[in-house]
Amino acid sequence: MSALEPTSHPAATRPGWAWRPFALALPALVLLAAVIGYPLLTIVLRSLSEPQWGLQNYAWFFGAPVNLTVLQRTFTISAWVTLVCVIAAYPYAYLMTAVGPRVRLLMILCVLIPFWVSGVVRTLSWVILLQDSGVINSLLRSAGFGGVRLIRTQTGVVIGMAQVLLPFMILPLYSVMKGIDLRLMRAAQSLGARPSRAFFTVYLPLSLPGVYAGAIIVFILALGFYITPALLGGPRSTMLSTLVQTQVLSLLQWGRGGAMGVVLLAATFLLLALAAPVMRSKYREGGRR
Amino acid sequence: MEMKPLTRVLLGLVCLLVAIWLVAPTLVVVPMSFNANKSLAFPPQGFSWQWYQNFITSPDWSASFLNSLKVACVVAVLATVLGTLAAFGLDRMKARPANLLRMLMLTPMVVPGVVLAIGIYAVYLDTRLVGTLLGFVLAHTVLALPFVLIAVSASLEVFDRRLETAAASLGAGALTTFRTVTLPLILPGMLSGLLFAFATSFDEIVVSLFITNPYLKTLPVQIFASITRDADPTVAAVGTILLFATTILIGGGMLLLGRERKGRP
Amino acid sequence: MLKSKHLSLGAALVLGVLATAAFAQEKPVAGEVKEGSLKGKTLTLVSYGGIYQDGQAAALKEFVEKSGATLLNDGPTEIAKLQAQVESGNVTWDVVDTDDLPPYVYCGKLFQKLDLTKLDISKIPEGQVGECSVPAMNYGVVLMYNTEKYKDNPPKSWADFFDTQKFPGVRGIDGSGSPTGGLLEQAFKLAGGDPKAMTVADIDKAIDVVRKLGPDTIFWKTGAESQQLAESGEADMLMMWTGRAMTAVKNGAKYAPAWQDWLVVMDQMTIPVGVKDTDASYALLNAYLGKKSQEILAEKTSYTPINNDAQPKVDASVAAFLTNTPDRQKQGYKQNFKFWVPNFAVAQEKWSALMAGN
Repeated sequence: MSALEPTSHPAATRPGWAWRPFALALPALVLLAAVIGYPLLTIVLRSLSEPQWGLQNYAWFFGAPVNLTVLQRTFTISAWVTLVCVIAAYPYAYLMTAVGPRVRLLMILCVLIPFWVSGVVRTLSWVILLQDSGVINSLLRSAGFGGVRLIRTQTGVVIGMAQVLLPFMILPLYSVMKGIDLRLMRAAQSLGARPSRAFFTVYLPLSLPGVYAGAIIVFILALGFYITPALLGGPRSTMLSTLVQTQVLSLLQWGRGGAMGVVLLAATFLLLALAAPVMRSKYREGGRR
Repeated sequence: MEMKPLTRVLLGLVCLLVAIWLVAPTLVVVPMSFNANKSLAFPPQGFSWQWYQNFITSPDWSASFLNSLKVACVVAVLATVLGTLAAFGLDRMKARPANLLRMLMLTPMVVPGVVLAIGIYAVYLDTRLVGTLLGFVLAHTVLALPFVLIAVSASLEVFDRRLETAAASLGAGALTTFRTVTLPLILPGMLSGLLFAFATSFDEIVVSLFITNPYLKTLPVQIFASITRDADPTVAAVGTILLFATTILIGGGMLLLGRERKGRP
Repeated sequence: MLKSKHLSLGAALVLGVLATAAFAQEKPVAGEVKEGSLKGKTLTLVSYGGIYQDGQAAALKEFVEKSGATLLNDGPTEIAKLQAQVESGNVTWDVVDTDDLPPYVYCGKLFQKLDLTKLDISKIPEGQVGECSVPAMNYGVVLMYNTEKYKDNPPKSWADFFDTQKFPGVRGIDGSGSPTGGLLEQAFKLAGGDPKAMTVADIDKAIDVVRKLGPDTIFWKTGAESQQLAESGEADMLMMWTGRAMTAVKNGAKYAPAWQDWLVVMDQMTIPVGVKDTDASYALLNAYLGKKSQEILAEKTSYTPINNDAQPKVDASVAAFLTNTPDRQKQGYKQNFKFWVPNFAVAQEKWSALMAGN
């Protein structure tokens, strides 16, 4: 592609045309600066300036045990959600590559339809399902088991969040697995490797880029989740987003809420930065194919 | 891949469970929507259409539905135009600045919703955009932009630019080239971007919860308020309607797409 | 013919009104509003949703039809949200229903000092009109328990509510925002204190008693959620608003009230500082205070009307939860108002820390 650039870019080489690409991107950039950049800047400023200039809000955040508990819990819940998603998505995505077009279409529909149904409605469904007299507990009881407390627990929050985020794991995994040449597996097996060994030494490493990509997306989205934990969780499953909302909407503490928001934002970008090299190597691999 | 029969059965079973986990929870709203009681406790009691009636007749519900529709339509068009322009711009830039700008433009996807929401809320309070159509459109457009950018960029990547050069060398002006060569080729990308932008706006809740006011509520805000304040099965009726609408749209679209693909050599 | 008669009558009326308004302000009558006087205007009533706000909307139906105003509903009431509106000078809430304390805590800051010449307060029970508010209704916070769980040995008081040894089970507590003063006082009593002599430091002691209920405690965010908890049988003992308790039982929840020391609450109606049309807000309030409006509200919600003339016709299921009967009045517990008003903000912050899972 890059070798073709000089000849395929007649416009860019013509004098006076170099600014055009920027001009095209400009409206979007302006909107981005106004509706994302400026608000985020406002939050950073408020976290440093309310009620007076200084780091008091950050000192408060890292000084109060509640906040640290919630911060840690946010990461724990996100990690669980990611793990559950990987475990559930891996076989599913694999099967999508192995079945005929009809079944594949059905499997894609199963992923996409909940993805397109309003997130709030889906969370409502989980409330109905998980409550003590809900569907799951009714089934458990009629099967002779005792009831399980699910709603307002971390388990409930993880189940609900993982379901909402599962498509973000399945789709990248599928797109990577689709590209894996199954003949490699057959070659390994014909050389005497047992299926399980062939899987672990050949298939799994080739599919890992998809796992990474999906896991990073899921983890980052999970960190910022708000609606699902707010409706499914109780005080013991409060996540950082809810705490930010409480500080701003219920206590009008813009400084403290802002500081929490900045911490959450920083954590997100730090993760992205850490993940970037992994992602890039994945794309390079993709380019080679 | 060779698999032992047992492994195959196991795999199929696990996937069936995952599929049930994906789809079944959403279906639970269907029986709830016919509840005769004003309650969300399971199982529903009796049978009634009253919640569907309520959705249509109650001004709160119908107004919020229309608002969502209005906002989402404007957002879909605006985001598609801005996103397509930006995708073109990035496509024609040198790799380094293009990558940087692309990352910048994708930030709305990764910024935690609540953080963005309090930021936008703070700015909107000062600029009096809370509860205005403009405020909703601006916020949703920014959130929808990345989807359009990704979709259009993807179709530009496979687009052979020599076609444009060829058209230009045959004497077509810039506009004619765009209209007759470029546009038809990237149209699928734009359309899927448009659809994603519409869906993003129609479903957006976190930012909307902060910038809403009594005069302008969108459907997700109304649903959220109803779940938390009213325990009103109308939400189940709305959920059922949305579920069937999207199933028909996506299922139909995929069938059409599948048929079209089969038709081509 | 008839039409023109109406027209001239209307014109005369308008002239008359203008004339009287020019000389002396017309005396308002509770429940009355001038035909078409608010045509094209939009008013937003903010309250707590569910059957309560449905009832309020029903009570105001006649007002809406007669005055020509459009009524919007919003909520739940959150003081911070109101504060943000007032501070940014963009108030979209025209009439706000709050619980007992806020109008006294933020009088003049967030809530307008009421001009009582614009309201007919002659029928309001004595001592209930504040500087910044009129009552919205009287009701109670009551201890509801699961009759299937406790059978022959039901809890009888808040002491039992806080005793997880003798009465194991999941508790549900009002976590809708502000702390409930009465509940904290009951908790403080169990910690060996005297609610009448409470100090700021004692708030922590009271909250500790609540915290000791353990991780199984549910803090419900809205009245609807508390109702849901009862109907799904999720909590064994619930602190509930009487109207929601009534609705839950009506919907089949197997719960019964323990009336001893039920917490007396008087919701307040307020007009925020900086509303677009103060007179329209007054008109709504005045209509709300009327006999008929209050009767409708009581019939729909079981809440006690605040118009002395009101005589709601209630069925048995509603009557069981009325709090204005002589028996109930004897059992009620009134919070230490003088303590909570100045310490509202401190209590709020401590309570929020508990909500966050501390």
